[in-house]
Amino acid sequence: MILLDDVRKSYGNAAVLRGIDLEVSGGEFLSIMGSSGSGKSTLLNLVGGMDRPDSGAIRVDGQDLTALSDEPLTLYRRRKVGFIFQFFNLLPNITVFENVEMPLLLNGSNDTARVMECLSHVGLRDKIRSYPHELSGGQQQRVAVARALVHDPPLILADEPTGSLDTTSGDAIMSLIASLCRERGRTVLLVTHDISIARRADRVLKIRDGRILP
Amino acid sequence: MTALKLLQVLVLRSLRQERLLSLLSVLGVALGIALFVGVKLSSDRALGSFESDIRGPNPSVTHEITSASGIDFDEAVYRHVRMLEEKSLPVIRAGGLVKGRGETIEILGLDIIRTLRYVQATEGTPGDLEAVLRQPAGVIVPASLAKRLSLGKNDTITVSLYDRDYDLTVVSVTDAPSVPSGTAVMDIGNFQEHFGRQGVLTRIDLPTDPATANLIENSLPDSLVIRQKEEAVRNQEALIASFRQNLHFISLMAILVGMFLLYNTVFISIVKRRTEIGILRSLGAGKGTVLSLFALQGLLLGLAGSLLGIALGQLSATLSVAAVQKTVTSMYSRVFIGTPFITLHDALKALLLGLSVSCAASLIPAREASRLSPNESSREGSFEMRYRRHLIAVSCLGSLLILAGAAISYVEYLKTPFTFPYLAHSGILLIILGFTLLSPAYLLAVMKAVRRPVIHLFGAIGRISLGEMQGSLYRFSIALMSVAVSCALIVALLTLIYSFRHSLQRWINSTILADVYIKPASCVSNYCFQPLSEEVASLVEKAPEVAGVDRYRVLNLDISGTKVITAFGDAALTRRLAGKAFVEARKEERLREVEEGKAVAVSLYLAARLGLSRGDTVELPTPSGRQAFTVSDTFVSYSTTSGFLYLDRRWLREYWGLDDATQLTVYLKEGQDPAAFIGRLRTGELRGYSLQIMNNRELRQMILGIFDRSFAITYAIEIIATVVSLIGVVSILIALTLEKRREMSILRYLGGSWRQIEQKVLLSAGLAGAAGTLLGLVMGLMMSLIFVRVVNRVSFGWEVDFQIPGLPLGLTLLAVFLTTVVVAVIPAKAVRRFDPTRYISRE
Repeated sequence: MILLDDVRKSYGNAAVLRGIDLEVSGGEFLSIMGSSGSGKSTLLNLVGGMDRPDSGAIRVDGQDLTALSDEPLTLYRRRKVGFIFQFFNLLPNITVFENVEMPLLLNGSNDTARVMECLSHVGLRDKIRSYPHELSGGQQQRVAVARALVHDPPLILADEPTGSLDTTSGDAIMSLIASLCRERGRTVLLVTHDISIARRADRVLKIRDGRILP
Repeated sequence: MTALKLLQVLVLRSLRQERLLSLLSVLGVALGIALFVGVKLSSDRALGSFESDIRGPNPSVTHEITSASGIDFDEAVYRHVRMLEEKSLPVIRAGGLVKGRGETIEILGLDIIRTLRYVQATEGTPGDLEAVLRQPAGVIVPASLAKRLSLGKNDTITVSLYDRDYDLTVVSVTDAPSVPSGTAVMDIGNFQEHFGRQGVLTRIDLPTDPATANLIENSLPDSLVIRQKEEAVRNQEALIASFRQNLHFISLMAILVGMFLLYNTVFISIVKRRTEIGILRSLGAGKGTVLSLFALQGLLLGLAGSLLGIALGQLSATLSVAAVQKTVTSMYSRVFIGTPFITLHDALKALLLGLSVSCAASLIPAREASRLSPNESSREGSFEMRYRRHLIAVSCLGSLLILAGAAISYVEYLKTPFTFPYLAHSGILLIILGFTLLSPAYLLAVMKAVRRPVIHLFGAIGRISLGEMQGSLYRFSIALMSVAVSCALIVALLTLIYSFRHSLQRWINSTILADVYIKPASCVSNYCFQPLSEEVASLVEKAPEVAGVDRYRVLNLDISGTKVITAFGDAALTRRLAGKAFVEARKEERLREVEEGKAVAVSLYLAARLGLSRGDTVELPTPSGRQAFTVSDTFVSYSTTSGFLYLDRRWLREYWGLDDATQLTVYLKEGQDPAAFIGRLRTGELRGYSLQIMNNRELRQMILGIFDRSFAITYAIEIIATVVSLIGVVSILIALTLEKRREMSILRYLGGSWRQIEQKVLLSAGLAGAAGTLLGLVMGLMMSLIFVRVVNRVSFGWEVDFQIPGLPLGLTLLAVFLTTVVVAVIPAKAVRRFDPTRYISRE
């Protein structure tokens, strides 16, 4: 599903990724472990089309992302990717329901039943009228998970999804991500610095100083 | 030292980081202060000009004797007064126009021997006295006038005075400070002889004590009054007081808009730095520290704005002086302002005003910031939530203020308790404040009303925009009020001007009915008191094209210390020759009553001031003593602000012993061409005279031109207020865009395109702009009703019909709304420079 071929990325004089070669199969749950500054979030941004490599190729389902301009990349992200962030990143001035519905609306569709289904999956059906600041951290992250899944993307990119949560909430989120991945055969790329989280994946890779460790 | 360090780290650094917002705030305050300073400087100098004209060159003079009956008086009185007060000084004066320069000039005839030391140049010689006395047309001119007209010693200056041109010779250029800048001084004997004014004086100046003044007063005929110079100055100042104060009020409105801008900047800063506030409080900073930080931020911006405003104010004064000078000269009397320079006193006043406004604008949000608790400050949306809790109470208070403003304006309309419309102006301010408090509730109502169509049209972006506006209700309501106040000012002033023009046009249609109007070329005000010569009147009356000539005579009567324009016309002739063109229903009847009885028609303003109505008696000062006339009618007059009387000419002959005219109102025979007639007069009979000859159309255009000029300053204020408010809209949109970078980044991650994000910014701006324009229209109509029906009447005595300029208003408001959307393009385009990856990972 995902193929990275000698991908390099620098910010100014700082080389963040120094030749990443990576292959991820469809339906695989892959964890990438690394300390802060190792390049794991950058890797996620490149696969998600939010940034461009300085060199190398990134193919997702046969599509070369590096050859795409901004509009096609935006469409790729809209249809094929679901993001889950460490700090939830919900839109603060709209309701839970509207937050989850947002990817559908951006796609031009309006599927209320689908939104309710996703919220039921994460156990927040009774919170549809609440605003993000009225929820706990765990609840907010569950909303974020529902939002990442509502448009049924084949690829989920999760950047430290349990980083802001307590152990219990974090476990619950990881179970949710794992089960939803396996149910629909979605490919999940998860970055973390926590070995206990990483081990929940099918495969764990380590990244250090911009390189995948063998 | 600690305080300075805190100031540097927490306030100055923040101002530098928010450079654009800070700059816009400074500019907003500066423009408001500049306008205020400009208006104040110009109008203060106008007053100063009046004062120096009244006081004359001799600073020791304490009293003056003038004619209450409006004409120069017999100089025999002077001999009598001199016996009681030997230091009395005779004065004669006339207004003229410098040929080819368009500049007005006052010629003052003085006892040069006794006043030379006050008018002579510092480097003057005894030869100067001889030169002034020996040269029949010799004048002393002040250095400033000489510089303006490029005159030197022995140069000749041609002046239109009365109805002729006269060549005057400059015998001396003086730097004496007591000689007013628009005045040339002659020996009184030379004046009387050269201009044919033998045997008369305009006034007698006296340096005397109150007891002697009383003695003199008891010996004077009824037609003469003795008054302290201070009182004369005060009376003259009162004439233009309303004009000045109304200009000040309108410029204060511009400052109000600047105040919104500053409030907005401080508020946005607080919201952006709410986490910082929480951290500071957690570290032990007290509420007072937090309050001081943001109040100081506002004060520093206000200080910078005020200083810039003072500098710009000097520029605006220089630019506005011509307009103010022309307006005051047309409406009141000749005045020369020159280039006004700001004094330290003026600058300090402006600075104090700017700082007070800034303090008021920043204290409110600063106080709110100080009341935030640490945990509250870290939660996004919590700051706005605090205001939501008080929404109903604030809205109720706003509604009450609006009602109170309307109520006190209505009281002023009914009762007119003051000579200046204090209640009406306070009412306007209360209405603006009331709408400000009501604006968040109003915005909520608007969003509710447009929710369905907006979401239907704009989908996800519509939902996000509405959600964002709801979540940032108070911030968007400030943007809305910036637009609303500016729109309200535009609506109010446009409606005032349109209403006035409409009423003025109607008045012109009912008053300007003759074919040709002739008056002295030196007459630059609406009314002049220097008569035309008998030859001019006779020559015109004898012209074969002429059906009739109304020898229109205007005097400036002194009634209870107020100068009142009094016109004497041929009522019978007017009825006979212009009766068919009468538009006003009562005009025929009014003229007949004036013609047949010992009657006077009184303008509405004067009638209200003196408490007169039809059938009452009013005493007028004449050279033959005080005469009682019956008030036959009251009518509207826009030609003056001090009141107007109209009597039949026969009373001029009977009580003033005069048969001359200050203006000839000429009716031509059927079929005669006014242009041809005027051309023939100019090249023929009246060739040697210095006259203004206009046909009906030209006079109407001139009147409308004076009207347009008098509102020139109002237009300038309108433009500046609009610019300031648009600056406010841009600044708040930029601030909100900057604050929403994280939300925009999230949208990018979710697949939102840059175009969609730009649309969001424009949609929010459009909604706030549309809501603000609509609110501004409502506010503006309320304000304009108060301006038209109350302020105008109380300030100037003018009854004006309220007329709404539908199409011009609609187009102007549309332009303002579109401009709001256009300026939103700036922050909308700026979002593309964001790197979304930077804002996602931070909390």
